Amino acid sequence: MEPVIQGLLLVLDPFNIALIFGGVVIGVIVGALPGLSSPMAVALLLPFTITLDPVPAICMMAALYCAGTFGGSITAILINAPGAPPAAATAIDGYPMAKRGEAGRALGMAAVSSVLGGIFSLVVFLFAAPMLAQVALKFRPPEYFALTVFALSMLATISGKSSLRNLIAGAFGVLLGTAGIHLTTGVERFTFGFYEMTEGISFIPVLIGLFALGELLGQSQSLKVAYERITSIVIKLPSREDFRKVRWTILRSSFIGTFIGILPAEGATVAAIMGYNEAKRWSKNKEEFGHGAIEGIAGPEAANNAATGGAMVPTLALGIPGSGTTAIILAALIMHGFRPGPYLMLETPHFIYAIFGAMLLANFMFLGIGLGGAKLFARITLIPRQLLWPAVFVFSMVGAYSFASSIFDIWVMLVAGMVGFLMKRHGFAPAPLVMGLILGKLVEESLSQSMIMFDNNWFRFFESPIVNGFFLMTALGLLWPVIGPLVKRAFGAIPRAP
Amino acid sequence: MNPSRPNGEDVVVEDGGGGAPSPPLIDRTDLGLAIIILAICGYLYWVTTGFDKVADLFAQDVPPEFFPRLLIWTIVVLTLGLPFEHLFLRKKGKSLDEERASRIQPIAYKTAALLLTIVASIPWLGTTLSMAAAGLTIPVLWGERRIKVLVPYAIILPSVVTGVFSYLLGVHFEPGIFGS
Repeated sequence: MEPVIQGLLLVLDPFNIALIFGGVVIGVIVGALPGLSSPMAVALLLPFTITLDPVPAICMMAALYCAGTFGGSITAILINAPGAPPAAATAIDGYPMAKRGEAGRALGMAAVSSVLGGIFSLVVFLFAAPMLAQVALKFRPPEYFALTVFALSMLATISGKSSLRNLIAGAFGVLLGTAGIHLTTGVERFTFGFYEMTEGISFIPVLIGLFALGELLGQSQSLKVAYERITSIVIKLPSREDFRKVRWTILRSSFIGTFIGILPAEGATVAAIMGYNEAKRWSKNKEEFGHGAIEGIAGPEAANNAATGGAMVPTLALGIPGSGTTAIILAALIMHGFRPGPYLMLETPHFIYAIFGAMLLANFMFLGIGLGGAKLFARITLIPRQLLWPAVFVFSMVGAYSFASSIFDIWVMLVAGMVGFLMKRHGFAPAPLVMGLILGKLVEESLSQSMIMFDNNWFRFFESPIVNGFFLMTALGLLWPVIGPLVKRAFGAIPRAP
Repeated sequence: MNPSRPNGEDVVVEDGGGGAPSPPLIDRTDLGLAIIILAICGYLYWVTTGFDKVADLFAQDVPPEFFPRLLIWTIVVLTLGLPFEHLFLRKKGKSLDEERASRIQPIAYKTAALLLTIVASIPWLGTTLSMAAAGLTIPVLWGERRIKVLVPYAIILPSVVTGVFSYLLGVHFEPGIFGS
């Protein structure tokens, strides 16, 4: 109990509260602005937070993560342009509601569902993370290797159109992670004569480049896009009737979102789509969906915010990112000298509870900010792209530079941005590459240590039941696109083609 | 998981029947993409042959090229599926062609070239002036012509950023020719 109190007291420090508040405001703004995303904002925030103590730094990022996921719903409802991918499902029913004059009711439902989903997942986080860490304490290098392989295989199902491309991007990310001096032998690999690369490729410029500059180049092609705005907004808290209608939807979506979030690599977007589809499947008013069903807002919003707390569980307990944004938070933890995983839980439990407290506080803050300032946040979309994106570039440039005061890092960011732009155009999502890059070192280290332990005998991997379990899940995950339809057909979910 | 259209209807996945022309076995864009990726893999594999050699005992049976090569082979195997992936995606009602049907617009190339120029100018102009240049030139390239907006923007943006990073966070910026 003492670490819990210690952690919560850390959060209640006025300076930390101010930073969490700042994170929430930035998160809602970034979430509301189409094109800007939570991973991008967290990546840009990273250089700012390097000079802070670890607790306020990570708390601010975690707060931004929670609020950014909610912020997307504001523009999804008001201008039919989801500020962030997880809010895409919210627009399906949110915008029709706004068009028929119920924007306030829709926004109120989005805010309340988000908060309830977020709190549900945080309660799970509070209990699941320590339990998972206890299990992970038994992990040796072979188990860690199998776990990271499983996490990388989950990239196949991360949001994006193509599983194959996600896997290729993930493998390239791991390959990028091998650049620099090989730990076991001291041999330089893929440094191409640049001394700046002997310590490997720095995460920050790559993250900023992929998420911010790639998007900037994409935005340069859509300068003339204009949004139709709903202007008359009076925010309404959900009525008792609305609550009665959506209570099971919120509970179900919170559960789905938390579970999806806990799965390595799965994030809020997948959770929101599943939350929406399940809300529709269980609804008595299916015909209302797509025309402004209140459950169509509660379902995805509860799910996508529940995924944020869920995604923190594997990130902190295992050191395996639960989503694209938590991959960046993981990078921040590493930069602050922490070793994410079970030992973080064991050695600094108060730190984990501080993050829990920060996310809890952030949920209540964005409820207030979201309800009170939705009209203002919707107006933020009026900022011309011609002025918004140059500012993003300036922050990206300085952010990439400031960590090591190196112009080389700005070049890395620029190259990463151009590669990110081309990747996106050809269906490769940036998040798998980032996850691969962050997991790369762990995969190689655990594989090398395992091979040394096993005297270079691959078959000895299969002696551990945990390893076998992870390998089985990996195989199932990778083969699911092939065997999934067969299983569904066997259970009658898909009718056989005539 | 069936995606839904904005009107709420589940997307109905066509099986390619009903007179629809059957797609070619190989997608030419993806074939080109696969060739580029394979060429990169070939180059990276060649780079691994130049890694310093270490004794097996020192490398503890895990030489430095082992893991990168394992990854390169993994990427090669996965990439071989790329030209045929459209068949699988089509069955699932997905397509990658909408996003890449149109050519990359000239403005994207121009923006990329401008960003390269700005970054290349940092050692001469210094960080703050390069930021000012970015604040002035990118909006102009993107069609902003209001001087009353552009000038204050190009002055205030770098000043605020420099203030925050340099004075608050203690970051040392490149001074450039005017600072030396």
